[in-house]
Amino acid sequence: MVKFLKMLSISVREGTATRKYPFESPLVTPEFRGKIEVDPVKCVGCGACTRICPPKALTISYEGDEATLKYFVGKCIFCGMCAYVCPQKAITVSREFELATWELGDLYNEVVHTTVKCGICGKSFTTVKLIKEVERRIENKVPEDLLEVCPECRKKLTARKIGSKVVGVSGE
Amino acid sequence: MSYDLNELNEMIEELSRGPRSHAILSKALSVCKDSLLGLSRSGVTIRVKIKANCLRTALENIYKEHDLYFRTMSASDERLREGLIKLYYVFGIDSEGTNIVFEVPVTDGVKVDTISDLFRASDWYELEAHDLVGVEFNGRALRRLVLPDDWPEELYPLRKDVSMDEIKKLYQPQVVSRISELGVEEVVRIPVGPYHPALHEPEYFELYVRGEKVVDARYVGFMVHRGIEKLAESMKYDQVPFLAERICGICGFVHSTSYVQAVEDALGIEVPERAHFIRSIVLEVERLHSHLLWLGVALHLLGYDTGFMHAWRIREKVMVLAELLTGSRKTYGIDLVGGVKKDIDKDKIPKIRETLNQLKKEFKEFVDVATSVPQVRARLTGTGILPRGEARAYSLVGPTARGSGLARDVRKDYTYAAYHYVNFKVPVYTEGDNLARTLVRIDEVFESISIIEQLIDMLPSGPIKAERWEPQPMRLGIGSVEAPRGEVIHVVITDLYGPYRWRVRAPTYQNLQAVPIMLKGVDLADAPLTIASIDPCFSCTDRALIINLKSGNIKTLPLEVISRRRWKDG
Repeated sequence: MVKFLKMLSISVREGTATRKYPFESPLVTPEFRGKIEVDPVKCVGCGACTRICPPKALTISYEGDEATLKYFVGKCIFCGMCAYVCPQKAITVSREFELATWELGDLYNEVVHTTVKCGICGKSFTTVKLIKEVERRIENKVPEDLLEVCPECRKKLTARKIGSKVVGVSGE
Repeated sequence: MSYDLNELNEMIEELSRGPRSHAILSKALSVCKDSLLGLSRSGVTIRVKIKANCLRTALENIYKEHDLYFRTMSASDERLREGLIKLYYVFGIDSEGTNIVFEVPVTDGVKVDTISDLFRASDWYELEAHDLVGVEFNGRALRRLVLPDDWPEELYPLRKDVSMDEIKKLYQPQVVSRISELGVEEVVRIPVGPYHPALHEPEYFELYVRGEKVVDARYVGFMVHRGIEKLAESMKYDQVPFLAERICGICGFVHSTSYVQAVEDALGIEVPERAHFIRSIVLEVERLHSHLLWLGVALHLLGYDTGFMHAWRIREKVMVLAELLTGSRKTYGIDLVGGVKKDIDKDKIPKIRETLNQLKKEFKEFVDVATSVPQVRARLTGTGILPRGEARAYSLVGPTARGSGLARDVRKDYTYAAYHYVNFKVPVYTEGDNLARTLVRIDEVFESISIIEQLIDMLPSGPIKAERWEPQPMRLGIGSVEAPRGEVIHVVITDLYGPYRWRVRAPTYQNLQAVPIMLKGVDLADAPLTIASIDPCFSCTDRALIINLKSGNIKTLPLEVISRRRWKDG
């Protein structure tokens, strides 16, 4: 009948369940997924992370001679997909979770890349580091003249080449 | 196209998965052979393409079948592909684990006969199809369910020609005019309504009482419909699991798993065994934390806060375990189409065992005490009764159904992931009261612990994700998972980069429709617990309106206050 009083002995045995955070640490396990870190040396600015990021916390924008990879912690859902897809292993998931701040700027991280201008039209289309990485991976198998040509111009160039080979006329 | 009877019988013979699907298909289709447009099967799903004019006739012949229930319905705007809107009615045959999908093309101006009187659960589905896709139904009253009252007429947000920008713009003029009125640069609208601003699943119940007894109840919902299904149409296959996981703040992993299973079903992707095991382990960990959470909340509603605190103290160990296995306490984020992205390393196995052993011991000790508290026992027993017949008629799912003697469990009936490798019981109680639903969940905690123990013993080695898979457009896939609160079912129609149409059905969608039945005749003080007994991600500051039939007085009070107050007649 008084079985429910047994809860008292359980309470005495267990003591205080809450912890004295932040004076006691750490609260998270080694596996915890927190804020991400982008290594500016390893990153080549390919944008794979920006295409998979579900909440679009990672974006890449081109302006002038620069391409900027921007990470906004405020939108991040800490899923770690960016680190999962990064071909350069430039992104690591940290255990950092104490991210509150008074300064909005603290929530942004940027990696700035220099861009390559298209040899034909002159528009910036990708980063210098990405071109170098592509060259390295395919071991210089792409003809020099194509490597620094933007996709639009490359299409036209190829069409012209095929045209001149097959029909025997120049596309000019 | 029409079939002669022999031809039809042969096809049914060939497609059936067993005697039950054979009998049900024969009954349904014998009267509709002239309206049948096609029959096919893939896996456990039999697809019946049928003209709208014969849908009702076909279903009238089979709605009384004891093991058939209404699982979900998806309306999909396929006018750009096939020139019409389609309805996909998904039925399940429990005893056989077979899905029967009635695919109904709806040409412009055609009204579909309602089936809400045959399968009562379909009421909301029809209203939603009318609201969001603009399908008209015959033989029933149509009112707004999902869309707000001030939404413009004849603008159906889930149609493909309505863009996200257009939907956003709809409210822009109001905001802009308000900004100029206020003379400020920027305004953020924060709606504060009949729901807790911090918790999801807002609910609004109107309880009609005579003296202390509830005589009727009405529910109004969908106040923060987020348009997640529409949003997913603009996302890629591997981004959607993370969106799906945020449908529910308590059992999110069931949604991401249902979604990836639906895509895998549609595209025929082979998932490695180890990934199936990992998904099952994490799903059961989620059930543990969810049931412990619910038990705590239920005890809190009964005024037994000591029990509440202890339930959550024990639950904390499960949360830490979840983080260790997945990287996060909630929103685990490890589901991908074709597998999972995080492995369970060998060195974590001892830690899992240790936690489960502790949990088993502490939980047993705790529930023994908590369920013997006289007040707890008294208020759970005999309140919020849901008869078995009603549970069946409303196609109810999860512990709500199992507390009313209906042994429906997706893990057994439509098995998925690694559940066919393990032995477990499906706890069923026949009383149909709040105590029965509580005991189902308590028993399930022990079953879940045993399931995880068996799974880690058998965990196979190998890859955790399918190496490659090819997307194909316009394939239909179904994925269902037994969530802590009942069956979750997702229907996906595929496209090249992401889902073309994604229909989500959470268990509360099904179960909430039966709450008014449970409420009839209960004491007002037991109403909050009865509402919470279906485990609807209940937010504690929900408000209810009390209308006194004798005096005509109307009061608005937080549910928590109702549950603790004594009510006198008059």
